[in-house]
Amino acid sequence: MKKISLMGCPNVGKSVVFSRLTGVNVISSNYPGTTVDFTKGNTRIGVEKFELIDVPGTYSLEPTSKAEEVARSMLQEGDVVIDVVDATHLERNLYLTLEILERKKPTIVALNLWDETKHIGIDIDVDKLEKLLDVPVVPTCAITGEGIKELGSKLRDAKPSKTIEPMPEEERWLKVGEIVREVQVVHHRHHTIWERIADTTVKPVTGIPIAIITIFLTFLFIIEIGNWIIEHLMDPIFYNYYGPWIVSVVNSFSPEGLLHNILIGKSTIESLDFTQSFGLLTTGLYVPFDMVLPFVITFYFMLSLLEDVGYLPRLAVLVDTGLHKVGLHGSAIVPTILGFGCNVPGALATRVMETGKQRFIAATLMAIAVPCMAQSAMIFGILGRYGLKWILIVYCTLFVLYIFIGLMLKKIVRGESPELLLEVPPYRKPDVSTLLKKTWTKAYGFLAEAVPFVILGVFIVNLLYESGVIRVLSTVFSPVLTTLLGLPEGAIGALIMGFLRKDIAIGMLLPLGMSAQQLTISCIILTAYFPCIATFVVLLRELGIRDMLKATGLMILVSLAVGTSMRLILIGI
Amino acid sequence: MSDMNPDEKAVPLTSLFPGERAKIVALGHGMGRQRHFRTMGLMEGKIVEIIAIQPARGPVVLNVEGTQIAIGRGMARHILIQKI
Repeated sequence: MKKISLMGCPNVGKSVVFSRLTGVNVISSNYPGTTVDFTKGNTRIGVEKFELIDVPGTYSLEPTSKAEEVARSMLQEGDVVIDVVDATHLERNLYLTLEILERKKPTIVALNLWDETKHIGIDIDVDKLEKLLDVPVVPTCAITGEGIKELGSKLRDAKPSKTIEPMPEEERWLKVGEIVREVQVVHHRHHTIWERIADTTVKPVTGIPIAIITIFLTFLFIIEIGNWIIEHLMDPIFYNYYGPWIVSVVNSFSPEGLLHNILIGKSTIESLDFTQSFGLLTTGLYVPFDMVLPFVITFYFMLSLLEDVGYLPRLAVLVDTGLHKVGLHGSAIVPTILGFGCNVPGALATRVMETGKQRFIAATLMAIAVPCMAQSAMIFGILGRYGLKWILIVYCTLFVLYIFIGLMLKKIVRGESPELLLEVPPYRKPDVSTLLKKTWTKAYGFLAEAVPFVILGVFIVNLLYESGVIRVLSTVFSPVLTTLLGLPEGAIGALIMGFLRKDIAIGMLLPLGMSAQQLTISCIILTAYFPCIATFVVLLRELGIRDMLKATGLMILVSLAVGTSMRLILIGI
Repeated sequence: MSDMNPDEKAVPLTSLFPGERAKIVALGHGMGRQRHFRTMGLMEGKIVEIIAIQPARGPVVLNVEGTQIAIGRGMARHILIQKI
């Protein structure tokens, strides 16, 4: 199968072109191990099947960050390159185009955002551009789908350029200027009223209140809609239909004994217990599907919305000053927000940071102080019944940790903390089908990754308890747990499970009969002490073994210290 | 420096206030950074308008031919402009 690399600068609508080309019913899977790097999908154009690779946006092939390095290596992989160009910013987009053409790969140029050029008074002579570049140029408007068909049908005409030869950088800029002068006419225009309104979201006086309101509404949406789905859809399914059915099925062949306990725990038809029974088919499915999935869906919907509208770069600008204090800059807000969904893509997204120091700080802070959605959902689930106050204590403590450890790491980690340099793209109307597709891909990704691990986790819990191992471990660790942290010995089970899955780990706290104070302390420690195994593997690869050891040491120290202090504050001696 | 107007003094970008416009005359910095600036549309001879300045030595948001760019205060100091 031929490979097509989809390349272009950031914010040119490349992802929309991607989803237009691959259609709705393709399986677009994330490339193994590098989830946020690039998406692959299959597409059929005419009779030929292609594999389409969505390469991360890059301004040039001389990489300035790790993400751009990835883009460069991806160019080599494709048999054909589709270079997506922002027609409204031809001049600066052409630099990358020339660099791509110099590599002599068969290339076709998509002149995207074509409709907008007319609104803002830019005329581009497509035929002349085609002649100068010596590759096909197709005007497209990915959001409406205009031109995409032509792009597909012209793909066979993609060819290496004969007019563009490798050249030094200075000459390339001159060439860009030359081409732009020949093909483009810009009519003067003023700032539109909409642009003036858009500017208010980045001016500090208006932008900061707007940011606070936006974040508040986002959280409100995630929690309220998530709860609504649980209450009106998931819980009725589990309690009215699935629960009674699975209990009677299991009872029919194994009314009691080890197998019965492993499959459905102590659940009976009269008292269905999905949270504490710890059966593979009860808790093992209830936790991921009922307690976590609804929030995962609402989270990724909101994240995709903010992303597609173009709000995230503005948020990055507004929080830049604050993040500088912890050795990062505004762009670090993206891995942090991703981390609230799942720490794995969050860890990968730290690549947007330019230096090793910033990547280390961003990754360590996320691993310690940013709970993933699965974990958050469980924290809401078990602490919510004691009142909002306890949930707030958990999150405020984590926030204080983020700041405190960040301030410290900025001082002690060697290396540079460069400043923010970021394009703030215009607001765009999100494309609903792209939005839903993104949300679905992420939610599906969660299920595919989480469900097997949760079930494995529940199985291990059963083994630990049935074999009596947990009793031994409880005795061994009881000095630390009871004396230092004020927790019951049984909490060791949750801490062990936390290495595998945090959601199940928090679920394991329930049967221990802890007080709200103890639960709060446990939730904080479970967040901070160690990342889950999936995150750990990714961090190990991203940071290397030495930095990961340092980060791990820090995590253990921090969680012991914060656990002990919270014990003193909340429970006393 | 063909874009330089000999009658006007070149000053750092950071001396502008929100709403003010000026012409870029020099990018400063090393080659890599200059290339990065140019690929973002920040080039000698272009007109920039300051959109916003974040408080506490935060970044400057500017507009260059319809592209908005956020740039750290320290970097912005090295970009020289002439008022118009």
